[in-house]
Amino acid sequence: MVLLIKTRRRLLFPVAATALLLSFFGFSVQATAAEASASTNLNHPWRPDFSGSWEKDFQRSDRWENELTRQISLIRQPRSQPTMQRPTANIPLGGPSRRDSSIIDLARLAELISRQNVIDITQTENEVFIAREGDAALICGTRENSMQSFSSPYGTEVCGWERQQLVFRITLPEEVQILHRFSLSPDREWLNHLTTVSRQGSVPFNLIQVYRRFDMPGDGYNCTQTLTRGRVCSTESKLDAE
Amino acid sequence: MLSKTLPLLLALVLAGCNSFSRSTPKPTVPLEPPIPAVGNVSLHTATQLPAEHELLEIGIVVFDLPAQLAGQTRPGESLYREIAEKEAQYLPYVLRNTLVESNQWGPVRVLPEADPSVDLNLAGTILSSTGLTLELQVKVTDSTGRLWLDKTYRDVTTDQDYPGRDPFLRSFASEEELADNLITDTDPFADIYRQIANDLLAMRNTMEPAELENVSLVSQMLYAAELSEATFGRTLERGEDGLLRVTSLLARDDPMLQRVETIKLRHHLFIDTVDEYYESLYQQMQPSYALWRRYSRDEAIEDKTQEQRTSSRADPESGSFLALSQSYNRYKWAKLFEQEFMALAAGFNNEVAPAILELNRRVHGLSGTLEEQYRQWREILRQIFELESGDQVSR
Repeated sequence: MVLLIKTRRRLLFPVAATALLLSFFGFSVQATAAEASASTNLNHPWRPDFSGSWEKDFQRSDRWENELTRQISLIRQPRSQPTMQRPTANIPLGGPSRRDSSIIDLARLAELISRQNVIDITQTENEVFIAREGDAALICGTRENSMQSFSSPYGTEVCGWERQQLVFRITLPEEVQILHRFSLSPDREWLNHLTTVSRQGSVPFNLIQVYRRFDMPGDGYNCTQTLTRGRVCSTESKLDAE
Repeated sequence: MLSKTLPLLLALVLAGCNSFSRSTPKPTVPLEPPIPAVGNVSLHTATQLPAEHELLEIGIVVFDLPAQLAGQTRPGESLYREIAEKEAQYLPYVLRNTLVESNQWGPVRVLPEADPSVDLNLAGTILSSTGLTLELQVKVTDSTGRLWLDKTYRDVTTDQDYPGRDPFLRSFASEEELADNLITDTDPFADIYRQIANDLLAMRNTMEPAELENVSLVSQMLYAAELSEATFGRTLERGEDGLLRVTSLLARDDPMLQRVETIKLRHHLFIDTVDEYYESLYQQMQPSYALWRRYSRDEAIEDKTQEQRTSSRADPESGSFLALSQSYNRYKWAKLFEQEFMALAAGFNNEVAPAILELNRRVHGLSGTLEEQYRQWREILRQIFELESGDQVSR
């Protein structure tokens, strides 16, 4: 939780902005109808059930160019104008000779890592597994409030639960931070995915992608992964197999 | 499919991203400082059957796992813990085969628990197990309580320890070729088992024939005392050296002793059957476990070389989009590699699951795991003995 608290302090603006945007889209941080479908095991902390197939709603999702333009215009506003407590000092806007990461580079990175049109989430009593096409899955336990979910010389990942939100914080070398924050709409038909990218304490770039639940058509096969024979499938249903 | 994609993925990462690494949550417990590896070891085999008093019966208890494994909560760690639990039943059988091959001992069996009817009980803990290194803590005591061995062993494999072709090429091989290359009688860590067998033999060679005979006598009376403490408990006494010895011997034709021998025979039939179940598990696990260890070795070697690659990397201008995206891609590939490895681990567990299920199902009329069935059987035999002898068996 300490890590998440630090994250919250550093990202005061994005969190506030996200809360506003979430409420706009009908997302709520209060306990909602989504709770009804979640695990009721009293031995485990309550977690919302993110499982399902999700496809991007381009109408509701941010366009990174528009978001970049908006953020640049906010940065260029005079300090006297209230801008939701946003820090405005020392913001590099980019240029061929710059040494610091610019908001443009952060925006491009945010776009790069949130390109997935489809997200497939499976959730068990112990784990939530977010499969994203073209990228590594995001995996987090459901029993602990926070945990280190990946570690390598190329970056570390911490995941955890903040009320009804599932959060992944990735730290890359040179203090590049990527935050993924997932939340569900009250009716569980919409998935909100906020990606926040920052570097060395710079103003973060936020990108919100909204996904709509859809039914992935089944292929009729019951498959099991094996080591020596690869993926072994049969047309037998799981109930038959049992 | 995964077995084919992993080497390809590895090659892509090596070629495209300079380097990658992962910190796979494997069941490893580093030892400081590392103990020396056993090296190349030749097994001391007997060309002639040893004298009867030297043919001690050995029970190898299913290995323990380090306590650290129990508290792991990181995603994916349960997969590696599951593999470790399977290894705990598989590796004892490799050691059992080595001891049998040495031709120096009486019956050698793998058992779910320490058994009072055998002369030597061998307990082991898997401290670390990857395809590259294996570390075992081994403790052997005889029925008198004498410590024969309490030692940590470490073995490191080389590429030659793994039969078959390069894993990348092997991914294109047919199933028949795979079977030919992978199923072998020689375990990659054969040296560690040979060393344990040789150390046991060395200990036996230091003992007098009378001491070895006493071990057999004590184990006989220990088993009898388990059946009826009231009758046989007083035949044993702990000496000043802390070791058990037999104080009074019953006549060979004593009816009580004959009943004990009859029950013991049934018990040995049961533990022979249990041993066969472990053999069956060993046979079924061997092909997939060989492949798993090969991948595990590749992964462990990759871990070792990651730091060199990191230090030799030339990055583009710090903070630029190119630098940021390359940094993210390195992270992404490292994570993808770990997830592929996790998928292989899951595949291994799926493949071996039916064999484990079978192991626990095969003793008809008894229920629970094999460990529970073993306890039930011992209790049944004790009750049979009580009925037959009309003895007041103390609980």
